[in-house]
Amino acid sequence: MIRIHWLVIGVSVALAAQDSKPVTFNRDIAPIMFRSCAMCHRPGEAAPFSLLTYSDAKKHARQIADVTRSRAMPPWLPEPQQLKFADEMRLAQAGIDLIQRWVEQGALEGDTKDLPAPPKFVEGWQLGKPDLVLTAKKPLELSPQRTDTYWNFIFPVPITETRWVKAIEIRPGDKRYVHHANILVDRSSASRKREAEPGAGFGGMEIRIESQVFDPDSHLLFWKPGTVPYVEPEGMALRLDKGTDLILNTHLQPSGKPEVIQPSIGLYFTPQAATKLPMLLQLENDVQLDIPPGRKDFLVTDEFTLPVDVDLMAIYPHAHYLGKDIQAFATLPDGTKKTLIHIPHWNLNWQAVYRYTQPVRLPKGTKVSLRYTYDNSDENPLNPNQPPARVVGGNRSRDEMCHLWLQVLPVNFDAALGDPRMALQEALARHNVEKNPGDFEAHYNLAAMLQAKDKLDAAIGEYELAVRLRPEDAAANNALGAALVAAGHPDRGAGYLRTALKARPDYFDAHYNLGFALAGQDDFEGASQQFTLALQLQPDDANVEANLGTALAQMGRFPEAKSHFERALQIDPNQAIAKENLEALRKEVSPY
Amino acid sequence: MTLAALVSVPAPVFSQQGADHDGNAARLLSPDKVVVMVFLRRDCPISSRYAPVIQKISKTYSDRAKFFLVFPDKTDSAEDIQKYLSDYHYSLPAFPDPEHTLAKLGHVQITPEVAVFSDRRLVYDGRIDDWYIEPGRARAAPTTHELKDALDAALAGKAPARAEVRGVGCYISDLE
Ligand code: HEC
Repeated sequence: MIRIHWLVIGVSVALAAQDSKPVTFNRDIAPIMFRSCAMCHRPGEAAPFSLLTYSDAKKHARQIADVTRSRAMPPWLPEPQQLKFADEMRLAQAGIDLIQRWVEQGALEGDTKDLPAPPKFVEGWQLGKPDLVLTAKKPLELSPQRTDTYWNFIFPVPITETRWVKAIEIRPGDKRYVHHANILVDRSSASRKREAEPGAGFGGMEIRIESQVFDPDSHLLFWKPGTVPYVEPEGMALRLDKGTDLILNTHLQPSGKPEVIQPSIGLYFTPQAATKLPMLLQLENDVQLDIPPGRKDFLVTDEFTLPVDVDLMAIYPHAHYLGKDIQAFATLPDGTKKTLIHIPHWNLNWQAVYRYTQPVRLPKGTKVSLRYTYDNSDENPLNPNQPPARVVGGNRSRDEMCHLWLQVLPVNFDAALGDPRMALQEALARHNVEKNPGDFEAHYNLAAMLQAKDKLDAAIGEYELAVRLRPEDAAANNALGAALVAAGHPDRGAGYLRTALKARPDYFDAHYNLGFALAGQDDFEGASQQFTLALQLQPDDANVEANLGTALAQMGRFPEAKSHFERALQIDPNQAIAKENLEALRKEVSPY
Repeated sequence: MTLAALVSVPAPVFSQQGADHDGNAARLLSPDKVVVMVFLRRDCPISSRYAPVIQKISKTYSDRAKFFLVFPDKTDSAEDIQKYLSDYHYSLPAFPDPEHTLAKLGHVQITPEVAVFSDRRLVYDGRIDDWYIEPGRARAAPTTHELKDALDAALAGKAPARAEVRGVGCYISDLE
């Protein structure tokens, strides 16, 4: 009896003693700073001051209490949830309380014996010396004025053959002025046309990179303060072909003085070609974005049903300044609902790609939904319009966006039935057309998808719908014309190709396709003209040289034909048509 | 660049009572002009981002109001401040305030904040405008302009509409 009594008293005394012990930096606060702050708050990183020593922390004590209490620091937007994210930066409530008490008690240093070893960080390139380092050709001079800047740097990749990339380290320049940065892969050099001079880069918050072929090779290459480079998991790698450009899309904030930003990126190659091929699924509903001024809870949704089993690896939500509550969830075929992400107070400045610690299996038939709300009232202090004005979807920072990217890896598929990403892409394109029958891009993308799967008639139908929506669009007219030529209707195709050229006279593809269409109608004179125009736009194209040679040969202009075949073979010694026709000339038309 | 007013030894010593009799204070708080003290912390990004705003407004009012920068961080050396002024292209006089005499005089606790004196009396202290909502969240453009309003009122011989609006930024360390 007595013994038990004594024990109980002992316990409560011990507890009280611990509670009344003053909170000290060395024992209580340093472990939190080292774990949750130092990665950004150290020299050379994004934060404005270091948090590595007692005097660092003491100097900012009150501010630290405020920003941890409000959860502004460390920057981490998602609510806790069952599906865990890698590198979660959220502080536990106990840690926040400890910091508050530390500051209330006068921010004491404590006993040096209690101080844990400071964190160790790798200096310089985080994964060791990269295999290839690319530096922006021309630095950007950042204005000291109030507004944020969105700038795109182009990095041509000097490789002569296809390489596989295991990791990319983005060094965005002075990290204090870069909110985030994003790499896009441009396989068609399309972005270079947007530069005022080669290497200058170009402005713009949202960039789209058009690709002419089905190119689902999708990786989220993202930098935000405090990130260590992401190494692709076993079997995955990013494909880089000769002639590929990497575009670094950056969001920069002013510092108050002029700054010079010159990012570089380090590439780490692997000899292993990718065996696991993920893709990016984009849910979006920008057309629903027509937000009247004053609306506080404007809701936008989208829902897509997965046609195949996938593993969800990462998620990247995106909205601009009116975005408020951002949610995505998955409803599995058995009815279970999983929150994929929930950000109750969206902040564009801290946007990020979130990777799951474990891939999330989503079986075929799972409904993936997004649910974003927007606040276009004057109570939203980030509202770019004061007083509030109507806001619609668009690429500028004062427009809105409703996007959600999911990086998924198809699983449990029958490889004999083709690339499962095609099925995903087609389902997504169909979903977009149904959601929005007036959406030009939705029809265009579905058509391109169908064409890639050799469903030519269905593709022509969708291209026709796209052209009906934008009768003068060069790309759509060209695609429709080319599809008609491929389906054996060069006469019908030629009309659309001419429309494409009216809209864009320097359109290489349209000249090429029109040359083909005319040759298909035995108009070799017209065809050779088109191929000649195409050659003026891209002088080193072996296929055009071979076609021009063929058209000339058809008209009996053999000496000219011969020189074009030879030129084609100079550019590409394996150009089959040039080889064959040159041979034919030699055999059948003496004296060749 | 005007760096002449930067005093390299800590501090223009004066208190509210003794202000009239102190050389530095007399220079700072002149009776015939409106005086604005702008409090900055070098390691506070919000403070620093205001540089173009402070320069513009001080230029606009240069014939009617005197502007000073005040650096209340105890650990700032004269060289640190000189470098900061030249980095941020300031041509305003600057004072270190390690004893926080000026901060207390201006009722200022946060950087960036301003204290506006008219006829040696504090008529406004607080934020410059409402650009920042909280650390990490800024408006595209401010919607209120407290410093400008306070200056216009003081120059018209009126009391500003609001005598105090707290700023967003960084606390001045070790301010008792
Ligand atoms: C992911 C990187 C990152 C982490 C982790 C981080 N910070 Fe920060 N912190 C920043 C950046 C960047 C800024 C500057 C914000 C700005 O420029 O407005 C900042 C600013 C601050 C400020 C000044 C507020 C301001 O905007 O002036 C304080 C105080 C602060 N951090 C405390 C902390 C504490 C305490 C922790 C850990 C519990 C922490 N931070 C973790 C990146 C980080």
